Amino acid sequence: MRMSLDIVGKNMIRVDALSKVTGKAIYPADVYMDNMLYGKTLRSKVPHAYITVNTKEAENIDGVIKIFTCKDVPTNEHGVVFKDHEVFCSKKVRRIGDPIAFVVATDIKTCDLALEKIKVNYEEIEGVFDPISAMKEDAPKVHEGNNIMYHYKLRKGDTEKGFESSYVIAENTYKTHMVDHAFLQPESGVSYIDEEGRVTVVVATQYPHYDREEIARALNISEDEIRIINASIGGAFGGREDISLQIHLALAAKEIKRPIKVVYSREESFISHSKRHPLIMKYKTGADKNGKLLAMEADIIGDTGAYASWATNVLRKAGVHATGPYYIPNVKVDSIAVYTNNPFAGAMRGFGATQPPIAYEQQMDILAEELGIDPITIRMKNMFKKGSETATGQILTESVPLEECLNKVLEDMDLNLDRKGAY
Amino acid sequence: MKRIGRGIGLSFYGTGYGNGFPDVSRAKVRLLKDGNVGIYVGGTEVGQGARTIFYQIGSETLKLSSDNISFITEDTSLMPDSGTAAASRQTYNTGNAIKIACENFMDRLREVAKRELKLNSTQGLKVNNGKIYLEFFPRKVISFKELAQKQKGNVIEAEGEFVAQTVEMDSETGQGAPYWPYTFNACGVELEVDVLTGKVEILKTRFAQDVGRAINPHLIEGQMDGGFAMALGYVLFEDLNINEGRIKNQKFSKYLIPTAMDMIDLENVIVEDPESTAPFGAKGVGEPVMIPIAPAILNAIYDAVGVRITELPATPEKLIEAIEDSKEGRVVKHG
Repeated sequence: MRMSLDIVGKNMIRVDALSKVTGKAIYPADVYMDNMLYGKTLRSKVPHAYITVNTKEAENIDGVIKIFTCKDVPTNEHGVVFKDHEVFCSKKVRRIGDPIAFVVATDIKTCDLALEKIKVNYEEIEGVFDPISAMKEDAPKVHEGNNIMYHYKLRKGDTEKGFESSYVIAENTYKTHMVDHAFLQPESGVSYIDEEGRVTVVVATQYPHYDREEIARALNISEDEIRIINASIGGAFGGREDISLQIHLALAAKEIKRPIKVVYSREESFISHSKRHPLIMKYKTGADKNGKLLAMEADIIGDTGAYASWATNVLRKAGVHATGPYYIPNVKVDSIAVYTNNPFAGAMRGFGATQPPIAYEQQMDILAEELGIDPITIRMKNMFKKGSETATGQILTESVPLEECLNKVLEDMDLNLDRKGAY
Repeated sequence: MKRIGRGIGLSFYGTGYGNGFPDVSRAKVRLLKDGNVGIYVGGTEVGQGARTIFYQIGSETLKLSSDNISFITEDTSLMPDSGTAAASRQTYNTGNAIKIACENFMDRLREVAKRELKLNSTQGLKVNNGKIYLEFFPRKVISFKELAQKQKGNVIEAEGEFVAQTVEMDSETGQGAPYWPYTFNACGVELEVDVLTGKVEILKTRFAQDVGRAINPHLIEGQMDGGFAMALGYVLFEDLNINEGRIKNQKFSKYLIPTAMDMIDLENVIVEDPESTAPFGAKGVGEPVMIPIAPAILNAIYDAVGVRITELPATPEKLIEAIEDSKEGRVVKHG
């Protein structure tokens, strides 16, 4: 029985709507402070190289206050799961866009001039750009150790037997590409020392307490000495989970003790933050004569680029969701994450569960066509219902209205497509 | 020549951090000096509508108008950690934490009211519309404002914490309970493929999303529209054009995302089946709304022109090439 509620279930107007549509909402780039300086980041122009950096000439430019490099950071690392990012690259760059130095100057033009005058000597090394090549023993290593950085295994029943009993088997390889979150507000922030002496960073972030934790670690100060103010945020979609400019800004404010502002250009936003993992998904799906699914095998390889970010969790999630919302008695999934010298991949809306349906839902249609049944019948036969068991052995005890969802679609769209002899 | 096709996509999605990792949200509720209520919570509004949902959950639980509630969700020096605005977890996880904190806060109010009203017990004390009163003798009543003014420096506040339940999977077999709750959806798409230009035009969609229970139907429809648009770009045109680690399409003049011109009015259907562990039954939908769209479009393209696009994106060039190949009987699948 449903409770009768006063406001839950009502279309309350968004509490942030008025300020956003009237342009009054404050995004970090809207913040200006007295005595404020500007910061810009020097980024790697090559995907894989040993580097040496000389900032001397740039430091002598009028208006340059300070140039930060790896030697200025007490703990020069960060990362949401593994601390495999450096705040500033020390010996090696692993992707185009890796941060190398951070210039603070009185104005943006001076920052740009200083970036040009910083000398980076790149000793290029062979890179690896495709995850299949990266998995080979003799492939160039992106980090210490193997490029294969995660392997999720899912085993249920006996797939060999399942395929033996199958009347039809569909085998196909599907590939998805790397895409950007394309949030509308590029990264920006302002840092300063507040009235209580705290290192304060105004930023647009998905998780302010995580930013505080990473700043505390990198600067080797306590979390109480740091304050994150989360301003208005122009979209995120997972692209604001990793650290971008937070540590650079905090470090600069702590050392210089003046407000510092950073605004990324669209191009810098594209080359600096994470992407969606491209997956290669090799699928084999078998069904009996009536369309009942009997076995499914999936080999999934994900390119996480130069850094781990959320690769372990994303490839795990891809593996867990590889069956689709269908009961299959025999399942074998291997889902692997691999380092390359591509832009790094991380969180993005759907987090590894967005790619597998490209495969499993086309597999369903292919099986249906081969069996001469329609796409709806095969789905109705196999779909999760209340009480179903997933491939990981979890029981869906309640709130499983998938059949109702499909019926709602069918109410106003004929999808019982008969494709016999169509092509 | 244009050909019309229809396709279906179904998906499921496990929300929350998952896999046994502690997924904790916290909230703090305080009676302010003016009798209004402050709720302190580290959940971020990224555009998904979390702040509005927090107001609705807080207002519903406290039986208090949202005009009398202030949310503080921006400053780490003031608010407890409520986890990340990700994993479609703010409505379910932080919503639960807010509800628990508000319930604890009402218990605190009843205790203080018992003392102020000189009662023997908190039994029968109702909290409604900014007042605490004895239901069967309503003259025994005190407002939030009077209560706040009588405290003289003593702060009336309460905390709430919600920890989601998942079970870590076995490292060899993957057996476990990695997520909870799951959400489900189905999307049907009708589209038109121009076989000469390879251009795909969406004609009609019917998109049904399980939400547990809708806290704010308009915000859910907003998520469904946005998820559809994002998936449309993903499957048909977004391409970074990466060569040896270099992104060539690094600005919006080259990296094409959908505009209003690419969208149609979606037929969105909200399906309710309340989840018992969720605040008022509501599950997270931020991510799932993107997931069934791409396969529905790919299946509809096949229905229209008989080619399977197995490698994204399904750009006009790729579609024309696949259509030409299929005419010559070479390959039907195309990657």
